[in-house]
Amino acid sequence: MKTGTKSLDWSLTSQRLLAVAILLAIWQVVIWSGTLPSMTPGVPAIASSIGGALASATFWSALVQTMTAAVSGWLIAVVTGTVLGLLIGSVRALDRSTSILIDFGRSFPVLALMPVVIMLLGATAQMETVVVALSCLWPVLVQTIYGARRMESAVVDTVRIFQIPAFLRFRRVLLPSATPFIATGIRISASISILVAVGVEVLSQTPGIGRQITLAQQAQRWDSAFAYLFFAGLVGWGIASLLHFAEGRILKWNRQTND
Amino acid sequence: MTDTALRPDSKTEHPALARRSKVERVRSRPVQLALNVLQRTWLIVVVFAIWWVATADSSNVFIPSLESILASLGRDLSNGVIASGAAYSLGNLASGLLIAVAVGIIGGLILGETKRLREIVDPVIHFFRSVPQAALVPLIIGAFGIGQGPKIYTIAFACMWPVLLNTIDGVLGVEPTIRKFSKVYRIPRGLHFRKVVLPAALPQIVAGVRVALPIGITVMVVSELFAANKGLGFYILNSSATFQVPETWAGALLVGVIGYILSLLFIVLERRILGWYFKSGAK
Repeated sequence: MKTGTKSLDWSLTSQRLLAVAILLAIWQVVIWSGTLPSMTPGVPAIASSIGGALASATFWSALVQTMTAAVSGWLIAVVTGTVLGLLIGSVRALDRSTSILIDFGRSFPVLALMPVVIMLLGATAQMETVVVALSCLWPVLVQTIYGARRMESAVVDTVRIFQIPAFLRFRRVLLPSATPFIATGIRISASISILVAVGVEVLSQTPGIGRQITLAQQAQRWDSAFAYLFFAGLVGWGIASLLHFAEGRILKWNRQTND
Repeated sequence: MTDTALRPDSKTEHPALARRSKVERVRSRPVQLALNVLQRTWLIVVVFAIWWVATADSSNVFIPSLESILASLGRDLSNGVIASGAAYSLGNLASGLLIAVAVGIIGGLILGETKRLREIVDPVIHFFRSVPQAALVPLIIGAFGIGQGPKIYTIAFACMWPVLLNTIDGVLGVEPTIRKFSKVYRIPRGLHFRKVVLPAALPQIVAGVRVALPIGITVMVVSELFAANKGLGFYILNSSATFQVPETWAGALLVGVIGYILSLLFIVLERRILGWYFKSGAK
């Protein structure tokens, strides 16, 4: 069985590479056929731009700027969201009172606020962090509330009858039962953080990958615009897979009982 | 009937548990209902009141009073400036979402049913999903112009991935026994998709569309903030570029309200489409 999976993985990897190659070939054929606007770059041009970007200092500093804003905004959102969520989710009255406000907030497209935010805070890295934090807050908050709310009635009753102290209850009952939900919220918001950071840079010309994309587009350097887009996707993909992996390890106990 | 049978008798209940239920029983129904409504709405009223009072005599040019924001919102809504823009934007959103749902469901059904294909294209799908939607906007608009088509394609591209991935998950969740049944009775492929796989995956698909909706709204606004000559995003951008600050706020606020209303409408729609599902006891 073990060796079987190993050789199967091999062929799977090669087939995956083949799929990517086919996609790229289709892309190139479409370019040659002339159905796309003439400025769209071909595969070789994008590939050489990707290589060029890796060697350039501009790319690395843009990447660092984007990542810094995304990660700091995300961390702020995770801390605030978890604390607020645990509080709101465990106090019923608070849960009811805030539900409309939270529903409104989570369905609010924060990027639509960009002109307003730029007016208030200027096109700075701090502004970018604020917008990222505002966007990442909702998934964490909503998930944490769900997690804190959803406790088996038997557990709730047991805790009440034995008059478990509040802090112990929080640490041993509330937190473990909410953790899987919080983890999902954290994972979702991590992907959002990159998306929003790049989006903010596109709209406000704050330094970072997003700004490089618009600059390249304005300078008619389409190949490098696509190269930066590729890296933006790669970063998002890398973060999502990493967190998925981490969640699987940390929450092993939960997955096992669920399956 | 079964509900009461499952619950312990109130006499044998622990006093600590009985206390809470007694308090709830005392109030009459209308009073309880009014209290519920009050409990749900007071905070939003307070927030708006604070906003109103705090900005009432604001001297900061960039923070206009809520009164003037609402006044300009009311004016531009009634004279049709915003309304036509909103109709344009929402039309784009609807077309984009429709394309995304159609492509996502069809692709998801195919990929969900064929394990090999799914495994092969899995990394590609996850990569495309991770591409920042807002970053696509300059490329697509730069290449295809500021017309309606490019905006719809961008929305469709961004909204497709959650629908696709959720459809795949939904298809994978089809009860194995039902799947075997369908195979044993040699249900034709088309019928199998339409009557077995699709209904079973529907709750997941609807959840995917729910995720796609706010993404679509964001891309809709961003595509117009970037380059447009009409629409809600254009209204916001244009008013901020001409320093009509209350109008900028009004536009952003309106987008938020539209987002909220659409998500409420979607919940209603979801209840209708999935009535059978919620009735079956799933939460």
